[in-house]
Amino acid sequence: MTDLDAQLLAAHASGDKPALVTLYAASADQAGSVDAACFYLTHAYIFALELGHVDTAHLYARLAEHDRV
Amino acid sequence: MPQYQSQIDLSSVRRPVATANGLPNAHYTDPDVFKSESLAVLHASWAGLAVAADVPENGDAKPLEFLGIPLLLLRDKDGDVRVFQNICRHRGMILVDSPRKIEGAIRCPYHSWCYSTKGALVSTPHVGGPGYNTHEAIVKDDLGLIEVRSHIWRDVVFINLDSTAEAFEVVNAELIARWHEHTAPLYHGGADSRFALDVTCNWKLAVENYAESYHLPWIHPGLNSYSRLEDHYHIEQPIASSGVRTASGTGTAVGTGAFSGQGTLVYRQLTGDGGATFPDFAGLSDKWDEGAEYVCLYPNVLLAAQREHAYAILLEPIDTNHTIEHVHIYYASPDTDAALRVRNTAQWKDVFEEDIGVVEGMQKGRAAIGFDGGRFSPAMDSPTHCFHDWVAAKMGAQAGA
Repeated sequence: MTDLDAQLLAAHASGDKPALVTLYAASADQAGSVDAACFYLTHAYIFALELGHVDTAHLYARLAEHDRV
Repeated sequence: MPQYQSQIDLSSVRRPVATANGLPNAHYTDPDVFKSESLAVLHASWAGLAVAADVPENGDAKPLEFLGIPLLLLRDKDGDVRVFQNICRHRGMILVDSPRKIEGAIRCPYHSWCYSTKGALVSTPHVGGPGYNTHEAIVKDDLGLIEVRSHIWRDVVFINLDSTAEAFEVVNAELIARWHEHTAPLYHGGADSRFALDVTCNWKLAVENYAESYHLPWIHPGLNSYSRLEDHYHIEQPIASSGVRTASGTGTAVGTGAFSGQGTLVYRQLTGDGGATFPDFAGLSDKWDEGAEYVCLYPNVLLAAQREHAYAILLEPIDTNHTIEHVHIYYASPDTDAALRVRNTAQWKDVFEEDIGVVEGMQKGRAAIGFDGGRFSPAMDSPTHCFHDWVAAKMGAQAGA
């Protein structure tokens, strides 16, 4: 398990949604393919959407760039 | 034919008060009748669900159940109070399981479909496969939250579950007109001005008791010192004289809104130390200096109009013999004396608790074999008969049959 994976699990366990936005976005940045990146970006975007997070529009735009929303 | 047709003969309920019987025992004890009556009487009317003060800030969400139906009371991002069915359009999962603020979107806890506070479906993650968040078969515009018709009056959130009622202002035009002076803003007194009473009785018994003043000297003897029985008058808006609509194809008149209750001519304000009182509502004529009215707005909302405070009691029907009474007290100002408010709440709670013994006693009485629903005092019980008559009409019984 990578450190990022461990941080994600910890954030899920504690319900730390702002951290989930950040960590899933970081996972997308490290992904090896567009599909993998969009999987993680989707999660980052959904938690951002729920929170009304400042990064929501940016994450939406990243998914839209790949025609995923 | 009316929309509903009871399997029980209710014709005697619809007779004039002097010869009428009350609703029969099955309307208080039979689970099947409870279900059919819920559809005919509660789903088809404007029923009280909650108060807008339950969701004071934009984004506030409160899950509720009404007749077992999961609902979500929500103040949207623009401040409008809405009622939705509290389920995701995907797999029917409950969306919100406890009161909370929606900061951005409502995220379903199952597969994370997301909805705006106005009910629009805004995101469907992975719906087209991992990382693909759209699918041509899933049209977001068609899959918003299911909104329930709602209307707010005197801060009460009324709902019409089956969407068949006329507009609230049309149905209840008579009471709105009667209380036309009472249009000043109502301010909920807050946490110290709300309480709930869990009562072992059918919800209708709480209406019946509230409607009449006949019981006051016996059940509320403390009122005798200043508010005698003869200082009260009946308030009745029977179904026949309410706004009527015509059931399709038959010409049968089906009444809409109706209400009944009691008024007093000797209302006395609560006074605190040094003679302090709550400020009056603006715009009231002299009539309300010592006048007050207490009305059952059918089916399940009990209201009070007084010069310096008001209240609403929402009857939550749980089962044939179980009701929760939600009491909310309002003032003319958002800044009232806290100690006096607490005294006022305690005073009303004492009064309403005095009624529990009789409504629960009448519920137990409904197990009596052969009870015919009882008779009414033509002089004193007409507001109660007015309600029975309305319920019977809603159940499809014809007057004069």
